[in-house]
Amino acid sequence: MLRITMQLVMILATTAGARAQEGELQRLIDESQAGQTVRVTAGRHDGPLVIRRSMTLAGEPGAIIDAHEKGDAIRIEAPDVTVRGMRITGTGDSLDRENAGIVVLAPRAIIEDNTFDDVLFGIYLKKAADSVIRRNRIGGKDLDLPRRGDGIRLWYSPGCLIEDNNVHDGRDVVIWFSSNVTVRGNLVSRGRYGLHFMYCDDNTLENNSLQDNSVGAFLMYSRRLTLRGNRFARNRGPSGYGIGLKDMDGVTATGNVFDGNRIGIYFDNSPSSVDVQQHFSRNVLAFNDIALAFQPSTKRNHFSENTFLENIEQVAVLGSGRFDGNSFTTDGRGNYWSDYNGYDRGGDGVGDVPYQAQSLFENLMDREPKLRLFLFSPAQQAIEMAARTVPTIRPIPKLTDSAPLMQPILIAMPQQTQASASSLAAVAAGLIVASGLLLTLVGRGPIRNATASTAAPAAQFEMQDSEAVTSTAPLLKVQSLSKRFGRVWAVEDMSFDLRGGEALALWGDNGAGKTTAIRCILGLYRCAAGASIVIVGHDVRRHGKAARTCVGYVPQELAFYDDWKADELLCFFARIKRVHKRRVGQVLAEVGLSDHARKKVAALSGGMKQRLALAAALLADPPLLILDEITANLDAAARRSFLSLLQDQRRRDKAILFTSHRLEEITALADRVLVMQRGRVTAVCEPQQLAQTLGLQVGLRVWVDAAGLDKAVELLHREGFDARRNGRSLSVRVRPDDKGRPLNVLMTGGLTVQDFELDNHSNGEEGVTS
Amino acid sequence: MSVRTVMIIGRKEIRDALRNRWFQCYAAAFTVLALAMAQLSLAGTTLQGLAGFGRTTAALVNLVLLFVPLMALSIAAPSLAGERERGTLAYLLAQPVNRLEVLFGKFVGLGVSLVAALGLGFGVAGLSIAAKGHAQGLAGFLVLTAMTMTLALAMLSVGLLVSALVRKASVAVGMVIVLWLALTLFSDLGLMGGSLMFRLRMDELFHLALLNPLEVFKMSVLRSMHASLDVLGPAATYAVQEYGRWLGLIFAAALTAWIVAPMALAALLFARRPLS
Repeated sequence: MLRITMQLVMILATTAGARAQEGELQRLIDESQAGQTVRVTAGRHDGPLVIRRSMTLAGEPGAIIDAHEKGDAIRIEAPDVTVRGMRITGTGDSLDRENAGIVVLAPRAIIEDNTFDDVLFGIYLKKAADSVIRRNRIGGKDLDLPRRGDGIRLWYSPGCLIEDNNVHDGRDVVIWFSSNVTVRGNLVSRGRYGLHFMYCDDNTLENNSLQDNSVGAFLMYSRRLTLRGNRFARNRGPSGYGIGLKDMDGVTATGNVFDGNRIGIYFDNSPSSVDVQQHFSRNVLAFNDIALAFQPSTKRNHFSENTFLENIEQVAVLGSGRFDGNSFTTDGRGNYWSDYNGYDRGGDGVGDVPYQAQSLFENLMDREPKLRLFLFSPAQQAIEMAARTVPTIRPIPKLTDSAPLMQPILIAMPQQTQASASSLAAVAAGLIVASGLLLTLVGRGPIRNATASTAAPAAQFEMQDSEAVTSTAPLLKVQSLSKRFGRVWAVEDMSFDLRGGEALALWGDNGAGKTTAIRCILGLYRCAAGASIVIVGHDVRRHGKAARTCVGYVPQELAFYDDWKADELLCFFARIKRVHKRRVGQVLAEVGLSDHARKKVAALSGGMKQRLALAAALLADPPLLILDEITANLDAAARRSFLSLLQDQRRRDKAILFTSHRLEEITALADRVLVMQRGRVTAVCEPQQLAQTLGLQVGLRVWVDAAGLDKAVELLHREGFDARRNGRSLSVRVRPDDKGRPLNVLMTGGLTVQDFELDNHSNGEEGVTS
Repeated sequence: MSVRTVMIIGRKEIRDALRNRWFQCYAAAFTVLALAMAQLSLAGTTLQGLAGFGRTTAALVNLVLLFVPLMALSIAAPSLAGERERGTLAYLLAQPVNRLEVLFGKFVGLGVSLVAALGLGFGVAGLSIAAKGHAQGLAGFLVLTAMTMTLALAMLSVGLLVSALVRKASVAVGMVIVLWLALTLFSDLGLMGGSLMFRLRMDELFHLALLNPLEVFKMSVLRSMHASLDVLGPAATYAVQEYGRWLGLIFAAALTAWIVAPMALAALLFARRPLS
């Protein structure tokens, strides 16, 4: 034997590193004698090879058997053959011919330490009893799953040992018609069925990892199967069972882990024989969609000391029918259920309240699987709550564990590899920092771009039409302004011009249309077609934003952000108006609010708010000021102060448009008055002519000696006044600009005027009546 | 429309949000919720290193599903309507700004505030997970964070649409609560009933579910945190097989549409609608 071995080494060494001469290896195999060892040196050797006598084919590192995409790579037709240490590749891809890396057709073969890649079937044992498949690494062809072959297939091969193999990307590991097989320590991944048993009795599966397959293990029509210490993980194909039991009898499963599968263990008519019991104990079923799924007719399965951890549905009964005849408590020991809500008063580790799997939504899902789409939704919670509240729709418990365990049972299993936590820590810290930065940078951005030049604190106003905007051109030109709310014309056909240094008052009763007109001018309301509003050359309807850069606006109702400080508020509007923030201090000083700059707006008096509004309006030093009911919230002193501020602005050549009810304001500030009634401009006059134009009168109350009251009335009537006795005083109606004359008449007539006052009661709030 | 003006108004909104007690409560509550989610999810993984997406995690995702839309909707609803009611909107619009700048400024400001609050919550939760030495599902964590933020922006957009429609803050808040109930509860219950009554096909059911942004959020989060979307049954399996790797993009597009469409509608209505 030694002579032949040496001869083979010598012959093959000449071709090491390149393709061996065609047929050389087969010739040497054929020439070897029974029991001899043929060593295959590094290099690619042609398949298929056929071994027809007992022998050992031992590959040295780099030895490759290549079938060149035709048929099998190695075919063993004799018993007691060992193939070891080879890389086997390139089988044909015919499913009909079952092209395989190694086909064994005789008993007691040993296939070990080989690597299979690009093979349709990996190792195929046909009637090869008592064979050993050990420490092989088997990878399938890169084909769609249905077109792949099985990584390992046993066919009528009892008594075999399949141990410590790594099978990946194949179809199944199939063990059919083969009893007394031990499958131990294998890893099967990314295939269809990690293991597929049919008609195999007395087999043992232990310490295997079947993961990321469509189904971990599908076990059918077999008896007395022992499952021990296996892990079935993330098997999530269309059926997605960790293990599926179909017509199995006598399964015993202990210390297995089923995690992340669609269904941990699926029972279909298992056990199938009426005299057979099945036992599942000390297994862990965790993070499965469904831990245990039963066809309703399934009976005689017994579960104890298992851990049911965080499965989305602990137990499902698929389809309709009565589910009973299985037990979840053995000898006073039940299982651990992570959703158990009971307690253990005695401290014996067993809950005092039975565990019941009872869920209306789960029942609905089990009958209508498409409703699973609504899993984890608030609708699911609502249904469960309804079921707990309304006894009539409360479902019958699927199972009862009368002795649930309070703690999970720990079993030996390989430690899971953990990714480094540093990356998560970095990401999390980054999130916190990014959140803070986002708020800081976006929320407290600088104002450095507020203006192009710090030397020019106020905004510069762009003139849209230089010819139209000359020193004598109107800053505000309103033509045919109309506005309708529903069927009511709030403003109708209003036209006027306003030039720099000019103040125009809008006068009218409540509802006359003054505020509406101002809002139209500001572009807050859309006015009717045909209107034209031009501010400093900008058409408000088309370029409202540009027009408003030329306007400072003080509203009738002072609406500010009350929790802001006065200077913060002005800074905000300064940014909006693109004005440098130094201007804020200037306008606060201008309106006399410097001492109140750090006060919250809510803490300011009405007069201060009015001045703050004027300060905001003056920020950009606009050529046009529009003020609506400018002194509505002010007392007499504040009113005078405010009017003085506005007079200063007019002297600075600003145009001012304002509305007011108060004649003294009109007189003090306006150059012209537009009198409005029901939306129409009914008169245009100078302020001094307003009272006369409108026939306005104020009420005057005069006290004279009681004896002279009748004489006083007579004297006043004689001079044309509307006078009458009012208790111990006189009430006189006079023009607002003629209040002193009745007093002169009385004194000239020899009566002593004891006192007088404006009759607020008759004048009303506005002070004048028409 | 000036981006600069949008940002100025956005800053104002951030400032207001940070001083808003409701917003502070929401942010604190979300951080606590995220921490609880992290800790309780981890509690299940301490058993011999097993990790996965279980009932507890699912229930807490469910809480996020309820909480974040409520947070975003109720912050957004009073923003325009409240200012309109107080009169500050009219005053603001009398300044050199246009309506779209105000609307988008509010979106940016409130959006940044929401995203920052959520980022803070997730950051704290992430640190607590990392402190215990767990780092599985980093990608899922990132997707959950991103999708939660996107959902918040979508609900913000819806809230602003409501706010642009009504004149009173109280009415706006009432409307968004009804809307929140509709999105979280009634639409799913309706779809469940409809699918049974009309025997909806899987594709019909999935596509109808895509119309609800909360369902889209749930599916996208499950897809990233769970081994597979098929946990949601045949309709989700159909989606996985039909759309494959495009599914993530479809979810992102659906949520983005829920940001864009309501904002576009809000812009249209807000630009045309009378001020009061």
